[in-house]
Amino acid sequence: MPANTDEAVYGIQEKRTLWGVLTSEKYFKWTLLIPLLTMLSVFMLYPLFYCLFYSTQDWTLVGKSVFVGLDNYRTVLRDPAFWLSLRNTFQIMVMCLTGELVLGMGIALILNRKFRGQDTVRGLCLLPLLASPLAMSLTWNLLLHYDVGMVNQALSAIWLPKINFFSLGMGRYTIALITIWQWFPFSVFVLLAGLKGLPRDAFEAAKVDGASAWFTFRRLTLPMLSPLIMIVVLLRTMWLIRLFDPIYGTLRQTREAETLDYFVFRIAFSYFDIGVGSTLAVISLFLTIIICAVLFRRLMLALEAAR
Amino acid sequence: MTRKVLFWLGITIILFAVLTPFLWIYLTMFKSHGDIYVMGLSKFFVFEPTLANFKRVFTSTTFLLEIRNTAIICVASTALVMAFSLPAAYSFARWNTGGGHLLFITISTRMFPPALAAIPFYIVFSKLGLVDTHIGLTLLFIYFNMSFATFLLFGFFREIPVELEQAARVDGYGGFGIFWKIIFPLIKPGAAITAVFCLVWAWNEFFFASLFTRINARVVSLSMPIWHGGGAGVEWGPMMVVFGLSLLPTLLAAWFMQRYIVRGLTFGAVKG
Repeated sequence: MPANTDEAVYGIQEKRTLWGVLTSEKYFKWTLLIPLLTMLSVFMLYPLFYCLFYSTQDWTLVGKSVFVGLDNYRTVLRDPAFWLSLRNTFQIMVMCLTGELVLGMGIALILNRKFRGQDTVRGLCLLPLLASPLAMSLTWNLLLHYDVGMVNQALSAIWLPKINFFSLGMGRYTIALITIWQWFPFSVFVLLAGLKGLPRDAFEAAKVDGASAWFTFRRLTLPMLSPLIMIVVLLRTMWLIRLFDPIYGTLRQTREAETLDYFVFRIAFSYFDIGVGSTLAVISLFLTIIICAVLFRRLMLALEAAR
Repeated sequence: MTRKVLFWLGITIILFAVLTPFLWIYLTMFKSHGDIYVMGLSKFFVFEPTLANFKRVFTSTTFLLEIRNTAIICVASTALVMAFSLPAAYSFARWNTGGGHLLFITISTRMFPPALAAIPFYIVFSKLGLVDTHIGLTLLFIYFNMSFATFLLFGFFREIPVELEQAARVDGYGGFGIFWKIIFPLIKPGAAITAVFCLVWAWNEFFFASLFTRINARVVSLSMPIWHGGGAGVEWGPMMVVFGLSLLPTLLAAWFMQRYIVRGLTFGAVKG
């Protein structure tokens, strides 16, 4: 639409007051952003600069901080605990993303059918997503308990060996299991939205041509859902790098499944080493931003294509 | 026929996996310490119900006060998040303001490790006297929920066709007029979903709450880990009472949301 048409309709009422300028065609979109951008600049820029500054300082909350240049970065990169937490984070992330997407896709396909009580079933499936992650991971301690846990008692009732879920080497898998249980509804409901938006005619054509269900799924459903799958991957990646509650709830006494965020927490709140903590935060932030920027760009392109 | 059996078997397995932990919470609530530490599958359901756990929670902690605090902080933070995010998401979706970069920056607020964001906030908050106050935690929850709320709303706004606004403009509506009279009624289900997510995640938030509240503004998630570990060992009974009661609003939220969520979380990737 040419700009002067708007002016013809608009121009008469427009006044030269501050309010008039703020609601004018040209600036209205920015006016809408003022509250958000104000909050953002306070809540983002301040901690960001704070961390960038203290990542070059040696400070443990007492006394004065000392400038140490890039020493903190050297300390972090040489610390095996850092690499271990990085490995744990990415292993848990990959397990969770795979598990959530596969389960989410399967369950979305099941729930997409029409059946009696579908609203109830959907509502119940929402529950893990809305329940407190801390409460649920603490509850899983009981469910997965080696002796009195329901899972292990059920396993031994059918003559299978018990699993020590919180033993050495198992921690990561247990955390992944708990997280998948908690978050699979998210991908279910995102993908369900996608399944509902699929055009009918393409699927009818495939049916007429005698395409198998698997072929239709691979060649029609999956490509059409790819923007939504990308959204799930983007948001979940972001949140999984920040995974904290399940580790706090189950394995906080050990460093068995320590993730990046838990490592930052330990450095900052057990050792009060603000310098090294800030360095870790900066590294972790840039790592996340790089991964997510790539995903976000692809997502925006996909969204534009979908329009 | 086989398909139908398989389908209902699938539904049963899903529901079993989803509901078992919740069932456990509500069963264990009424069990005595001895009944929790007992072997044998049948004992899971056959036990003598007791209210001792409730008594323990209500006499030794400030549970009701915590529930009240949490409710105040959740509602306040959600209302403010919506006030910030609704106009911003509309601007992003309608004019692509900032060419996608600003939206990414908004989303990236959640990429900052909370453990480190907490330290500068704590220093500023203690100078301003905001530690252990409702206002302080409300501010943090706005920060915590704003990015996701904006992104989710962005998707719902994208589904509204632009032509609708052009028609309203010709009818003589200004920018805010269009937003309130035309767009907002259409976005209501989406806004409801977003608001419930914000409420629930503020309700569940533990990390900031554990650092920024103590007595006055103490929230319910702080009472969860105290029964686990520590000197006295694990007290499952009282812990499950805390979980079971603090989950009730969440169950309500799920019941409320299932009416709206049938459309699913679209994030603007589904054509309306």
